[in-house]
Amino acid sequence: MLLELSEEHKEHLAFLPQVDSAVVAEFGRIAVEFLRRSANPKIYEGAARKLSVSSDAVQHGVEGLTYLLTESSKLMISELDFQDSVFVLGFSEELNKLLLQLYLDNRKEIRTILSELAPSLLSYHNLEWRLDVQLASRSLRQQIKPAVTIKLHLNQNGDHNTKVLQTDPATLLYLVQQLEQALEEMKTNHCRRVVRNIK
Amino acid sequence: MELSESVQKGFQMLADPGCFDSNAFTLLLRAAFQSLLDAQADEAVLDHPDLKHIDPVVLKYCHAAAATYILEAGKHRADKSTLSTYLEDCKFDRERIELFCTEYQNNKNSLETLLGSIGRSLPHITDVSWRLEYQIKTNQLHKMYRPTYLVTLNVQNTDSQSYPEISFSCSMEQLQDLVGKLKDASKSLERATQL
Repeated sequence: MLLELSEEHKEHLAFLPQVDSAVVAEFGRIAVEFLRRSANPKIYEGAARKLSVSSDAVQHGVEGLTYLLTESSKLMISELDFQDSVFVLGFSEELNKLLLQLYLDNRKEIRTILSELAPSLLSYHNLEWRLDVQLASRSLRQQIKPAVTIKLHLNQNGDHNTKVLQTDPATLLYLVQQLEQALEEMKTNHCRRVVRNIK
Repeated sequence: MELSESVQKGFQMLADPGCFDSNAFTLLLRAAFQSLLDAQADEAVLDHPDLKHIDPVVLKYCHAAAATYILEAGKHRADKSTLSTYLEDCKFDRERIELFCTEYQNNKNSLETLLGSIGRSLPHITDVSWRLEYQIKTNQLHKMYRPTYLVTLNVQNTDSQSYPEISFSCSMEQLQDLVGKLKDASKSLERATQL
């Protein structure tokens, strides 16, 4: 699958051949850094001064590069498709290789960052447990009532949430049994067939 | 066991054959246990024809005294000798003491279960359900291909009688981690019961 690059995008990227490869590599690094955190406009100004160009040109160049990398990573396009997509820009062999390398090196990380944009539910983070025995209460003395106290750590969009729960030994065994069955499901023929065939 | 004067007075009335004949005594005793332990006991538990000849105020007073004593005895897990001692002090005759102890023994388990279930505790997990999905793409990320689980824990709150649910998603590795930790808990529970 080839990337469709708009005219505006191609214009922005046209800045890249005008600087040497070390600078393009640096732009690539800045682009990924901006994906990890947020964009810092001051960097554009610093670079613009050093290269004696307008800071707008630098910004467009970096943004163009960012968009190229994120679209490619999102679609998970193959090496060949990436090279063919970039080919239309008419860059030098060296620049094309550099861009490809930039894509391959950063693809995994960019995809991780993009996955955080998806709608997310509470997700599991950790579980702590403790064995308790209730010995007495206000309404009944001399008890031996075992219980398992569980602290469930959950995450949602970076917010950490904990829930403290309790269960009795019989239910605990039942929970383990049920969840083990859930794990076993992935090994069944049905699931294996689905995984094999949806690519 | 700390018991109030009114319990003692009520029992002294119960001990008196002039107030309560044998039959009435048995009926009142059974009524006391029934109103404590039978979830469907209606308010007319004292409405038996063989109790009609007794003053209703006396009936209620003695019923309350008996119920209070039964709960206190259950709470402290009183044994037969404790019961007998107290009833002797209230001037019960041998026959009535035996009757009381027999009724108490018959109902002991239900009583202790009832008392044990009263009280606050943390939300209690009662059930779990799970769903396995295979994620293919989002609008931000194509070609994902990864299985995820959605686990729902059914939880019961003791005081509010509500049944909230806790749902969360996890990857296969995370579910393995979760199950591993729960298995550790159940293994250490097994070990503790063998000590």
